Amino acid sequence: MRRAGLRTRVTAGFAAGALAISAAVALLSYDLTRRTLLAGRERSATRAAFFDANVARAGLAADNPDVVEVLRNLDIGSTRRAVVRRNGQWYARNADAGVTAAIPAALQQRVGNNQFAVQRVHTDTGMALAIGIPLGDGTQFYVLDSLDELDQTMRVLSLVLTLVAAGTTAAGAALGAYASRRVLRPLTTVAEAARDISAGDLNARLDTAGDPDLKQLTTSFNDMVDQLANRIERDRRFAADVSHELRSPLQTLAAAASVLHHRRDQLDDRTARAADLVTDEVGRFQALVTDLLELARADQPPERSPVDVAELARRVCHSRHLPDDLVTITPDHQTTWLVDPRRFEQVLANLLDNAARYGGAPVAVRLGSASGLRYLEVDDEGPGVPPQDRQAIFDRFVRGRTASARGEADGTGLGLALVAQHVNAHGGRVFVTDRPGGGARFRVELPPDTP
Amino acid sequence: MASVLVIEDDDRIRSSLVLALEDEGYTAYGAATAEDGLAHQQAQPADTVLVDLMLPGLDGYECIRELRRHDDVPVVVVSARSDTHDIVAGLEAGADDYLVKPVAIKELTARLRALRRRTRPTGQAAPTLSFGDLQIRPLAGEVTRNGARIALTRTEFRLLCELAQHAGLVLSRQQLLERVWEYEYGDERLVDVHVGRLRAKIEDEPGNPRHLVTVRGLGYKLQR
Repeated sequence: MRRAGLRTRVTAGFAAGALAISAAVALLSYDLTRRTLLAGRERSATRAAFFDANVARAGLAADNPDVVEVLRNLDIGSTRRAVVRRNGQWYARNADAGVTAAIPAALQQRVGNNQFAVQRVHTDTGMALAIGIPLGDGTQFYVLDSLDELDQTMRVLSLVLTLVAAGTTAAGAALGAYASRRVLRPLTTVAEAARDISAGDLNARLDTAGDPDLKQLTTSFNDMVDQLANRIERDRRFAADVSHELRSPLQTLAAAASVLHHRRDQLDDRTARAADLVTDEVGRFQALVTDLLELARADQPPERSPVDVAELARRVCHSRHLPDDLVTITPDHQTTWLVDPRRFEQVLANLLDNAARYGGAPVAVRLGSASGLRYLEVDDEGPGVPPQDRQAIFDRFVRGRTASARGEADGTGLGLALVAQHVNAHGGRVFVTDRPGGGARFRVELPPDTP
Repeated sequence: MASVLVIEDDDRIRSSLVLALEDEGYTAYGAATAEDGLAHQQAQPADTVLVDLMLPGLDGYECIRELRRHDDVPVVVVSARSDTHDIVAGLEAGADDYLVKPVAIKELTARLRALRRRTRPTGQAAPTLSFGDLQIRPLAGEVTRNGARIALTRTEFRLLCELAQHAGLVLSRQQLLERVWEYEYGDERLVDVHVGRLRAKIEDEPGNPRHLVTVRGLGYKLQR
């Protein structure tokens, strides 16, 4: 199971804490209130019972008294029911048998022993107080005082307390959510800065003037970015230095090879062949170094400007002696794209060169847009790219199988890697599929221009 | 016979370039420092100058500015530096073209030929193209503003004439590259920097141009 997030856990913790506290408070106050109310109720009920008992005792003092009549003369409310046990015989105001049954035997025992006794009992009509008062002469007076009213009060109280506890729990959860969000806000800032940095903005820093509690985080984060920026700058400078160091001897080689080439006729056969090899290899070396340097710089953000890609595509085709009508554009497609003209041109040129080198020749170049993305497709009618190679061909120094098998690897092996880097720098992607009817189809997809 | 002066501090590059250019039929001279090159150009002016940017003593940018002070000899930067700001700085110093090492000799000679064709014509009875305070006489090779002559390099002049001959029409950077630099396709920064240089010479407020305006996404046009 996935672990819950920090925010969820803090929120749940706050809610649980609030629930525990509010439940404890509710239970405690319920119990206290109940005890107090019950004690008060017991006192008043006992007082009333003694009063009634005295009235009954007076009534029973006469000779041969009518016990039921005496009971009927008692001023007793509807919630209280009085009975008398005289010489083992029960007397009640009305014929209500439930009353006698509700008076526990233990209570009767104690009252029978001339003791006053009170006990809480369950009756058919709810909780009640059973109060027993001995009247002497084998006569006992009992009152069953209903606690219904108190019960009602306690039910309302418990409902209120439950609602308050639930409310407190919810408030605790809300507080937890708010507090965790607030506490995590600096982390969100860090995440945003990190995202900016990985997107290439090495000037992104955190504000060190903010919360003093977070100073350590912001300082070490900024230090890390500083070091990263320094390192990237060192790498960039290294690439630039290497560039210069490679370019200068290559310039000499290129010029010297041109002299050799120019004077080829004056050389004997063997020397001429050697000179040709030198000239060819210098050309390839030159292309390799140019591509390598381009690759070293390719992670830099593109220098975008509005480019008529249709015109650019025709121009690139033209310079490769390919027919202009190779390029087709989706009808009504807006062909001015906001791209880095140099790098977009290289993308197209490398795809065309790739098609020429490994796919016989490019047979179609398509520009257009579909489902919100702008695309560039280059088709060839070659052997296609086997599915297991479709990822690898965009790596550096990977050449088509057929070419390396024939020893014809005249490319630098960097063309498609450069395409991938340039397209990535533009926020797009490039992939290869089968062309319907045979061959490979390279497709570049770019997100729409952000105005 | 066309002559080329190669200002390059690397002995091997310099001598190989001189050898190769001589083979291509040029009269080539080499100079190891900007100071030597400038002295040579004074004594025996070459038709075109190739300059490296990193030179001991006076650097390439200073060398180009110094060359520009005297005449409008076509200057081509041949440098190992390929960063945009180096290219733009070289062009802003006054270079006509920029090539990144290693440059193939075929490419170099093609550029030199294109530059040679960009010579200034010297006819007399020339039509005058008027753009407000700006008077352009393409065949006389002359530009005046409020009657005062403006000194333009050949490339700047060709660029201005191209725009003037299509007054009010937008020319794309690629069209200008083809027509002025004779590039089949090339670096659009060449156009942008030259337009900037032209504006500095012909506009009252180069930052807010009246005649030579940018049409975003399309190119440039010259208007009255």
